[in-house]
Parts: sequence; structure tokens; C-alpha cells
Amino acid sequence: MEFGLSEEQQQIREEVQRFAENEIVPVAEEYDTEEKYPHDVIDKAAEMGLTGSYIPIDYGGAGYSILDTAIITEELFSYDPGIALSIVSTSFGCEAIMNFGTEDQKERFLEPVAMGEKISGAAISEPDTGSDVSSVSTRAEKDGDEWVINGNKMWITNGTVGDFFVVLCKTNPDAQGRYNGFSQIVVESDRDGFSAEKITGKLGIRASDTAELVFDDVRVPEENLVGTKDAAFMQQMQFFDETRTAVAAQGVGIAKGATRAALEYAQDREQFGQSISEFQAIQHKLAEMATDTEAARNLTYKAAWNVDQGNDITKLASMAKEYASRIAVDVADEAVQIHGGAGYVNDFPVERLYRDAKITQIYEGTSEIQKNVIAREMLGKGF
Amino acid sequence: MKILVTVKEVATVEDEFEIEGTEIADQYLGADLNEWDDYAVEEAVQLQEAGVADEVVTVTIGPEDCEQTIRQALAKGADRAVRVWDDSLEGVDLLDVNAKTEILSAVVEEEDPDLILTGVQAGDDSFGATGVSLAEEVGYQWGAVVNHLEHEFDGDVASVRRELEGGVEELTDIELPAALTIQTGINEPRYASLRGIRQAQRKELDVKNLADLDVDESAVDSDLELTDMYEPESESDVTVWEGSADDTAAELGELLRDKGVAP
Repeated sequence: MEFGLSEEQQQIREEVQRFAENEIVPVAEEYDTEEKYPHDVIDKAAEMGLTGSYIPIDYGGAGYSILDTAIITEELFSYDPGIALSIVSTSFGCEAIMNFGTEDQKERFLEPVAMGEKISGAAISEPDTGSDVSSVSTRAEKDGDEWVINGNKMWITNGTVGDFFVVLCKTNPDAQGRYNGFSQIVVESDRDGFSAEKITGKLGIRASDTAELVFDDVRVPEENLVGTKDAAFMQQMQFFDETRTAVAAQGVGIAKGATRAALEYAQDREQFGQSISEFQAIQHKLAEMATDTEAARNLTYKAAWNVDQGNDITKLASMAKEYASRIAVDVADEAVQIHGGAGYVNDFPVERLYRDAKITQIYEGTSEIQKNVIAREMLGKGF
Repeated sequence: MKILVTVKEVATVEDEFEIEGTEIADQYLGADLNEWDDYAVEEAVQLQEAGVADEVVTVTIGPEDCEQTIRQALAKGADRAVRVWDDSLEGVDLLDVNAKTEILSAVVEEEDPDLILTGVQAGDDSFGATGVSLAEEVGYQWGAVVNHLEHEFDGDVASVRRELEGGVEELTDIELPAALTIQTGINEPRYASLRGIRQAQRKELDVKNLADLDVDESAVDSDLELTDMYEPESESDVTVWEGSADDTAAELGELLRDKGVAP
């Protein structure tokens, strides 16, 4: 059993910290308040290779493992989840192209994302399709050598800034079984009939772009279909271990950032003639925050390590996702409590972390869905 | 052209710290690549990218612990690294300029670079002399406190801008081989890219001891002795008023008028 990080992984962590302290921290509040996408930060992140870090070296990426990527995610999220999500999401959807795409698709779509020239997105949820993914109604119909797509997608990360999206569409409405008959099709945002409307007023991760997409007779060439027709569900399900582990890493990062901010504030803030970190009530909070974060981190790293070994870890990935997101919310809550009134306004980062933390319990499968998955696995009920 | 960059892992200190004897207590210390060296590495890598330099080699004097820091330079684009360490260096509290000069000059003799880039100074012991002393020892020309270097070389001549005191700058042509001590702000050091970090793990990091370099152990003996370390008394003058803003605002106004800050 080996719990240590390699020298390379430590170096990645340190360089990402350096990047975040210099490039993210000074502008985090501004992007949050104004709800604007951090194009400038993304450009710098792309120079460093933080966009699409897991894309193979052959396609311009760094070829990093899921554990490496979890470390990067944790560090970025500990400084500002909104900008961090903007950075790590620039390659959303690319995992499908990487694993099921043709050589031509990989060259066309992966390389520009890895180089930071393009931004991708994954379009799954719809106005009436959340946790019940099998109810997707966006339709793709074949017309000659083109797919014609009609429908709406909701809560799509990078919706108004993305250059292309991997869209989950119904391609065979007659298919038997609720998980059959769906396909993943790449739709470029400059196609006629594509439009996106930014969703504002989010509780947190406000720097990250979220939009509703409308496909109105959008035509794309048939070679934009990723992998096997009608088999999108089986394809998509293979990434649940990865994507849930990634959100777990986000939760660990938020908890780490909130603990760091609270520790610093507790040592600076004086009341009753002493630093509030001298009070046992505060000390116990800090101790619990650090312990919970470490436990969530171990669960997350274990999940990431297993994904890298090629192991099937449905239960473990859901455990990591559910636990780390819960810890993120709890620890951010305690961090605000330690700050008192100062934590209720945006002079300190904990106010933002407190708002940002909640999304980790909602996206990539709600906490309730994760518990369903864990229990189902325990009871041997299968898929 | 071959460039040798001298780099050092320096001690960094937290804002609040305590001094124990002639040292800052361990728990307040961190380690990082010397800030000035970061600029020197960036300058060398830029020269390589511009097609001026064929090879960039870094050299450091330090124990195995510092390798992770030294790999930062490899991750940013240096081709290979040399690390010098020796049992005789283990117990040395203060490695002075003479010792560094002697060790580094042996590396210069082996590597035979056309250009040596060093930081102006190290962020921890701040001798600010190693680069120039090394140039003198190996018989290179030198330019100190360089804040601009022309990337188009006119034959064997480096055109540099140097920072003098009082906001004055000087343009100088320096014949190669030469050593330049690099000032912060000469460029904008890049972040090590993820690909770079990955590649750096496979780049050559050669470890040499004093015998390998034909340097006598006596070179590390120092004539300098660190006798004391202390925080200088603060000379700032602070006035604190206790009480509500209503009560104290007038007093503050009066003080500002007294000091000539407010009319």
C-alpha cells in the first residue's frame, strides 16, 4: 500500500498553487460579482496546459491520469470554484471523443481543446430531464448524410462560450428498453439553428458559464456521431466513475480552501484580548474541518487511483462524490461561522465558498442519486 | 550557443517568525527556487526558443532535497541539470562566495558555456556577488544587474541594459564568453506547463561531488562567520486612539494637519 504522491505530482500541486495564487485569487471576487466568464484566466491556464490535462500527449494534452487531474482540480477549487470550474470544464464532453471517437474526430476536436484554442461542452440535461436521463427528448433524425437536431438542453456548462458540444440525442425512438436508442453527436456552436442563452442568478460558481441551448433544425454531417449509434448510454455510463471522482475532488478542494481561510482568520481575529484560535470551541471546529477534509481526500484519491488502474468502481465513486460534496458544504458552513459577521459578506473568500459548495451535491448526480447507487450496489440489484 | 544558468533553492520565511541563535527557527521556513534565478532561467529559455541558444544547462550546489526545486527549471525548458553536493558540504553553516566560486568555476570548466546567467542575488543570504566573482575566476567578461538583454546577438557580443542607482540605466556591449547577473523584471517568468513537468522527470540531472570536479575539500572552509541574527527595531511611529469614531476623528484630523498631510 502506497499513500504518498510522486515527486511529479507534488510538483504539479505546487505549480498549480502558484498559478492560482497569482492569477485567480486577485480576480476571483470580480468574476463572481459580475457573473462573467474568465477568458483572460483561461488563456493563461491554457498556456500552462491546465485545459484538457487528461487529453493524450499525441493530441496536444499532458496525458495526465485521473489522480493527477484530481490533484489539479482540488488545488484550483480550493482557491475559487467558479474560475476553477471554468478551467477544468473547457474539455467537458471530450472524454467521449477520446474513448469512442474516430481518429479524425480526435484530431478535429481534441487538439484545439488541449491547446486552449477551443472550449467544449457536454449537453445532457434538458428542461424536463434531470436525474432521469432516460427521458431525453432532443431528437436527431437522419436526412441524407446529415443529422438534423431539434430540442432544448438545460444547465449546460460553457453554453455561451463553447465552440462545440457533445449532445445526447434520441436517434431511435422505437428502441426497446429505456436506455437504448440514444446517440452522442458533436454540434458546433456556429451551425445554423444553434442558439444559447446564458443563465444568470446562480447561487454559486458564478464565473462559470451556464446556459440553455436551443437546437432548431441544426444540421451536422453524419461523421459527427461519436462512437456507436443508439449506444450513447452505455458509452456515457463508463465515465460516471471518472466524472463523479472529479466532482469529489472539487468538494475536497472547497473544503481545503474553506479550512485554510478559517485557520488564517482564526489566528488573526482577536476577541476578549486574544486570538480566537485560542478558544477551544474554534479549535475543535478547525480540527473537525481538517479531519473531514482529509477523510474526503482519501476516499477521492482511492477512487481516482482505482479508475487509473482500470477497475470498475461504481460504488466507490458514488461514495467519494456524495461524501466529499457533503463535507464541502459542512466545512464551508463552519468556515463562515468562524468568520462571524465577516464571513457573511464578500470581503473574505468563505462567503463565496459557502455558496459555491452547494452545487457539488447537485450536479453529476445528486446526493440522493449517489446514495441510491451505493445501496443498489450493496444490495446486488445491478443496473 | 550554450548557456549555463546557476540556480539555488533558497529558504523562504513566513511573515511571522522567531529567531533561534543565528538562524530562523525551522518551522517558519519554506523552500523555493530563488526568485532572481527564475528570471535567469526564463531568459535562457527564451534565448533557446529564439534560436540563439542550442543548450541550456542549470547548475546548483545543494543536497538531494533540493532536486524537486531544481526540476522547476527543467520543467520550464532547461535541457539538463547538474547538482553538486559532497559529504564535506553537509556540516557547512555558511557557504561563502569564495567556495561557491571555486565549485561553480569547476563546472564552468567542464561545461564550457558561452554565456553564464545568474540571479543578481539569492533571496536568503543575499551576498549578491557570486555571478561576478565566478566571471572573474573563469576569465569571462561580466555585466551585473542586467534588466534587458537583446535576443539578437551581433556575433559574439551581448547587448545589455544595466540598472544603476537613482533610476539611471546603462547600455553596454559585452563580448562573449560572459556572465550576466539577471535582475527581476527582465521578463515574465512562465509557469511550468503540465507537459513540461512531465518531461522534466525524464531529463538528465547529473550529481557530482567535489572529487568529480577536482575541487579540494578545503574550498568549503570559510573565513566568514555568522555571529548574530536579529530583527531590527522598527522605526515606524504609530498612534492609536481608543474610543468611538466620533470621539477620535477630530484627534486624527489634528494629527494629519500637524504632520502636513491635510491642509
